[in-house]
Amino acid sequence: MTTVHAAATAVPEAGSATGTAVAARTRGLRKEYRGTAVVDGVDLEVPRGAVVGMLGPNGSGKTTTIRMLLGLVAPTEGEIELLGAPMPHDADLVLPHVGALVEGPGFHPFLSGRENLLRQAAAEPLLASGGLHAAVSDALERVGLARAANKRYRAYSLGMKQRLGLASALLAPRKLVVLDEPTNGLDPAGTLEIRRIIADLHARGVTVLVSSHLLAEVEATCTHVVVLNEGVVVAQGPLAGLLESGSPTLLVSTPDGARAVEALRDRRIPARLAPDGVRVDTTTTSPATVIETLVRAGIGVDEARRERTGLEEVFARLTHDVGDVVGELGDDLEVA
Amino acid sequence: MSASAASARPAAGAVTDGPATAGAGPDVAEAERPSWAPAGLAGRTRAPLWRVLRAEVAWVFRRPRTLAVLGLLTAIPVITGVALNIALGPQAAGPDGPGYTGSPGPALLTSMATSAFALPLGSLMTLLMMLLPLTVAMAAGDALAGEQSHGALRGWLLAPVSRGRLLLVKSVGVFAVGLVAASLVVLSGFLTGLALSGTDGLVSMSGDQLTFGDVLWRLALAVGWAALYLMAVGAVALAISASTEHPMVVVVSVLAGLIVSGVLMQIDALEPMHPYLLPTAVFGLTDLIRDPLAFGGMGEGLVRAGSYLVIGMSLAYARITTKDG
Repeated sequence: MTTVHAAATAVPEAGSATGTAVAARTRGLRKEYRGTAVVDGVDLEVPRGAVVGMLGPNGSGKTTTIRMLLGLVAPTEGEIELLGAPMPHDADLVLPHVGALVEGPGFHPFLSGRENLLRQAAAEPLLASGGLHAAVSDALERVGLARAANKRYRAYSLGMKQRLGLASALLAPRKLVVLDEPTNGLDPAGTLEIRRIIADLHARGVTVLVSSHLLAEVEATCTHVVVLNEGVVVAQGPLAGLLESGSPTLLVSTPDGARAVEALRDRRIPARLAPDGVRVDTTTTSPATVIETLVRAGIGVDEARRERTGLEEVFARLTHDVGDVVGELGDDLEVA
Repeated sequence: MSASAASARPAAGAVTDGPATAGAGPDVAEAERPSWAPAGLAGRTRAPLWRVLRAEVAWVFRRPRTLAVLGLLTAIPVITGVALNIALGPQAAGPDGPGYTGSPGPALLTSMATSAFALPLGSLMTLLMMLLPLTVAMAAGDALAGEQSHGALRGWLLAPVSRGRLLLVKSVGVFAVGLVAASLVVLSGFLTGLALSGTDGLVSMSGDQLTFGDVLWRLALAVGWAALYLMAVGAVALAISASTEHPMVVVVSVLAGLIVSGVLMQIDALEPMHPYLLPTAVFGLTDLIRDPLAFGGMGEGLVRAGSYLVIGMSLAYARITTKDG
């Protein structure tokens, strides 16, 4: 469990100077469309300065939750607090500091990328009237669109459109950036660039909320994870905590697996023979003790490594068998 | 300005301070900010209105569709004038031409052949029946429904542009289209008339000669009146536009409304209903060819248009403030 605590303190506290430690919070958020709940009782918490990945299968309520956070849709029930102010009541106060790419980029085909951004920039409260062009050029530069800036949006590839949407979210200085499926339609280079942009925002203390169904993406970029399934938060907390939420194990490669298991069980260390070695449960003991035990018993150890549960595995467990997971997750994770 | 411009750029790294206060005009919202508001949220809460309006109007007139329709509207008086000139011959009109009966008919067409007064006015009245309202309906359809179907409306809502403000800005864009369209029709008709018959035929209904200046300000009045009338159509169209994601629905609804009104206006038995039909207002424009001027018809038309404007705008506001972004 120590690792979970470590992960929690590793989160930069860049935003804490401005007050609340939470960039976004919802309580009992619920949205019904024609009597069917799309989002049901979501209690979300996005710590300031964190990069929070919102995971969930298609139709799990990710986009609807984001749209409610941003005041685009009124919730049927529940409270929303964004950057410390209630939404949608204080939208005019909060939204200037929030950049968002929701449900794909929305631009006009007959205007160039630059003209589209200038149109958006005109409405951005934080941009000074004299600085619109500079802000637009800057944003285009950041997403790698500077060379295609004067091409019509109509002629953009899917990836370029996505980048332009991202540029729009980065037009003004932001405290929170919300990206809904930002890597849609991007080639591997574009995906890497999004990662770089997110890392860059993170380094500057900007809170980032990314929704995605690409688990590798989330695992690579996020500090925190929220998992939604069928409109319900199934788990949320630091990424490391979520990954370690299964019992921590040590995978030991040894020429004599059967004897190793025996030796460990003699010392009351739970172990079992697996096809790729001996899997040892280290909940009650440390890896060092395990190896020491084996070596003292005269068993050669070729390799020992801590096993990290892949996000994919955790995700599959969370979204397929909710009941089991609730029991498995550690105390440091809030589990709905 | 350059200093504030630089500080407003994301690269400036001033992520935790509101950097745009330097560039803020008198509409800085500091005064409106509740005292309990989180200290971190400094800076303006809305962009200057003129900036948003400028962006909207520029966008409206960059749209290829708008430009195509405006071109068509400009061409129609030219085509009408030239065609009538060929068909009726220059001798068909003149100071002794037949008087008007108060509604457009063969008599009006005859003098349209040559007059730089009747051609623009006649073209305007004819086009106000169908094509100009449809132009405005198209603009209104694109303004909200079209923008939403592109997903572009979200960008402004998130900027944020408040929904009431959004409706205001969009209305100005629609009004601009109506005003420019009416101006182009009248200007093109006026110039065609001048080219075809110079200053001949600048006469009022009673056959009195009108001065050039007289004609100019009467035409200007016609444009202004038409723009207001078109905005009444635009307000209703905006209300429909706020309720759908398909701009075509807006155009078709307005077309249907115009056709139904047209049919109802033909039925004498429905006389008591006619004052409530918006297109009835168009006949008020014939006031402008009277001498001395009488504004009864135009005034009445304006009241009618004003009622539709208020109703349309109220519905549009009710819809836009509750719709999903």
